[in-house]
Amino acid sequence: MRLLLRALRAALGLRPAGAGLGGKQPWRPLSATPDLTELFAAPGLPRLLEARAGNGELAARIQRLRAKEQELQETQELARSDENEDLRKLAAKEVISCQEEVAELKRQIILLLIPSEETDNNDLVMELAAGVGGQEAMLFTADIFDMYQQYAAYKRWRFEILEYSPSEIGGLRHAVASIAGPEAYKNLKFEGGVHRVQRVPKTEKQGRIHTSTMSVAILPQPTEINLSIDPKDLRIETKRASGAGGQHVNKTESAVRIVHIPTGVVAECQEQRSQVKNKEKAMKVLHARLYDIQVEEVTRKRCSNRKIQVGTRGRSEKIRTYSFPQDRVTDHRISRSVHHIEKFMLGEELLDEMIKSLREYADYESLMEMISANEQTKLT
Amino acid sequence: MKLLISPLQRMIMGLLPPWGPVGINPIKSAALNAHQFLLRQNFSGKPGLVTAIDLVNYWQEVFEANRIPEAQESSEYIVSYVLGAKTFHSLSASSISTPLTAEQQEQVQQLSAKRLQRMPVQYVLGEWDFQDLTLKMRPPVFIPRPETEDLISLVLEEASRKNKSCLDNAVHQCPPTTPLHVILEIGCGSGAIALSLLRKLPQSQVIAVDKEVAAVNLTRENAQRFQLQHRLRLFHHDVSSSSREELLPWGPVDIIVSNPPYVFHEDMAHLAAEILRYENLDALDGGNDGMRVIKRILELAPCILKNYGSVFLEVDPRHPEMVENWLQSRPDLFLSLCATHKDFCGKPRFLHIQKTYSR
Repeated sequence: MRLLLRALRAALGLRPAGAGLGGKQPWRPLSATPDLTELFAAPGLPRLLEARAGNGELAARIQRLRAKEQELQETQELARSDENEDLRKLAAKEVISCQEEVAELKRQIILLLIPSEETDNNDLVMELAAGVGGQEAMLFTADIFDMYQQYAAYKRWRFEILEYSPSEIGGLRHAVASIAGPEAYKNLKFEGGVHRVQRVPKTEKQGRIHTSTMSVAILPQPTEINLSIDPKDLRIETKRASGAGGQHVNKTESAVRIVHIPTGVVAECQEQRSQVKNKEKAMKVLHARLYDIQVEEVTRKRCSNRKIQVGTRGRSEKIRTYSFPQDRVTDHRISRSVHHIEKFMLGEELLDEMIKSLREYADYESLMEMISANEQTKLT
Repeated sequence: MKLLISPLQRMIMGLLPPWGPVGINPIKSAALNAHQFLLRQNFSGKPGLVTAIDLVNYWQEVFEANRIPEAQESSEYIVSYVLGAKTFHSLSASSISTPLTAEQQEQVQQLSAKRLQRMPVQYVLGEWDFQDLTLKMRPPVFIPRPETEDLISLVLEEASRKNKSCLDNAVHQCPPTTPLHVILEIGCGSGAIALSLLRKLPQSQVIAVDKEVAAVNLTRENAQRFQLQHRLRLFHHDVSSSSREELLPWGPVDIIVSNPPYVFHEDMAHLAAEILRYENLDALDGGNDGMRVIKRILELAPCILKNYGSVFLEVDPRHPEMVENWLQSRPDLFLSLCATHKDFCGKPRFLHIQKTYSR
């Protein structure tokens, strides 16, 4: 059985348990970023800080950091060599609070350095689709849909279903939802990608473990400033198009499909009994899809080497495995695993912590990218 | 036209046993035997194991066999309604595959029996959505059509234009207690237009009239449903027989809006059974040229409308030209057609008429 498991894992391209991700080793700390001292010791950082000194808020923090570090040094000196024992004790206490303040200032400086994306505060459209694995993949897609719906409730975001096509046995083929709330996109943008599940499906009679996949796409919802569409480029299709219409007809079919003629991008909605509501919702999805194309063109050039990708580049990548036999969820980008898979899929603290780690890691990556870009300009 | 559906015929329809798993409709029994069989197999064989999907498929086939229009949609709406959802697409994956209780199955059957008699789905469910509102629907009050949702957008655009100019000119002259817009709706039916406008324009007041008591009552119930009755003045009134003087106390108003009966009388015979059997045909029949009520509204408009006030009408695609010609023949009304807007199917459907001048 063990061998079989190992073979299966090897076939799936997973590292064997115990090596690197092994169960006996302590997991990496919550944050995958190196600690602040390490970061500030890197030679590139002071040069980057120098280059960014034009930023008033940043400059002020750097100045305070320098002053605090000076104070820390003096207090340390005092704590070590003063003749008076009471004074030495007092100074030792002072050293601790100084160190804390230094760390806090460094943290703030790092936060100021990390660029925020234009779209970070936008709302978003989340698309889910079942992948490889037939009915089981659809069942898993329904589970993941529930997880994000609950996560939105946990974060007090508004979650609105725009498209939902279930399978016959309670799975989900494809779904689209709109999520709105503070920092919704900033948090969820790293959830895009292929999610993989390993478990004994409900449909499996012989107790065999199957591996199936589903994919998530996260599209920032454009604001009116981000995107403008010429109404002439849209073709709005309804079932009512033929015939007299108006008072002559009393039909209940209310589905709406909108085609953006120049790009061929399509969105449709049939969740509502009101046709106008369906049109509004379909328009929302269409806007997000068109904006995604626009953003993609801009970001394709940069962000090329990061482990954590957003947009279409990250969508085909296997980002996470939900292994039921091991009761463990692993994010492959930051090599972080969490136990208690069912608790994770409740979409509460455990998912939130995973998302936090991803954000921190992404921040770290973009900071490193900035340092190296800064170094390169120095050299040329 | 009403001769088509004689009262006697309606009575007979009403007396037929509601069709269900054990009842046999004498007219359609031949067509239904196969389904009867399927039903027994599915429902009595393993009771309690019927899912939403099974029921939708089953009733869709029954509707199809009985030539009920929109068989699939009807079946989906009824099952979704019983499960507490608006559409089949908004049901969650798990509720689609969960077996229905005996009570739920019974309810689906009762509603489907009504649909088998060509009752419109909106009446079968007793509710339908218009814009953001889920409104009570009850025969014979006219069921709002999706085209009319766009009429609301047009009125809202006009209101926001007025709003802007009011803000530009007289920020301090508009005391907050007086409504920004007073709107008159003629022929309010279920209240769809009046209530949508009240909902979207929180500083407005609407006067709504209808010549049918049933409509006035339904509008009132729907207004209470959304707590909008305080800004709504509702009258049981027939504009066709009223004099200008009777309307004066309501005015002056900023906007008149109406979806008047506009079907040409000769077209009435071709309407679907759902409409002919259940809806109040007076809400549709616009006389020989479909303009009987349209003309009446335009004759009354000048005396209740403020200067440069607007009339918004939903009409038949043949009407814009006819109305424009008629207005030109009636310079005494001081009204001019300032825009024709198309509906979502591209048909000229909405008229924006403005009062130009008054003595």
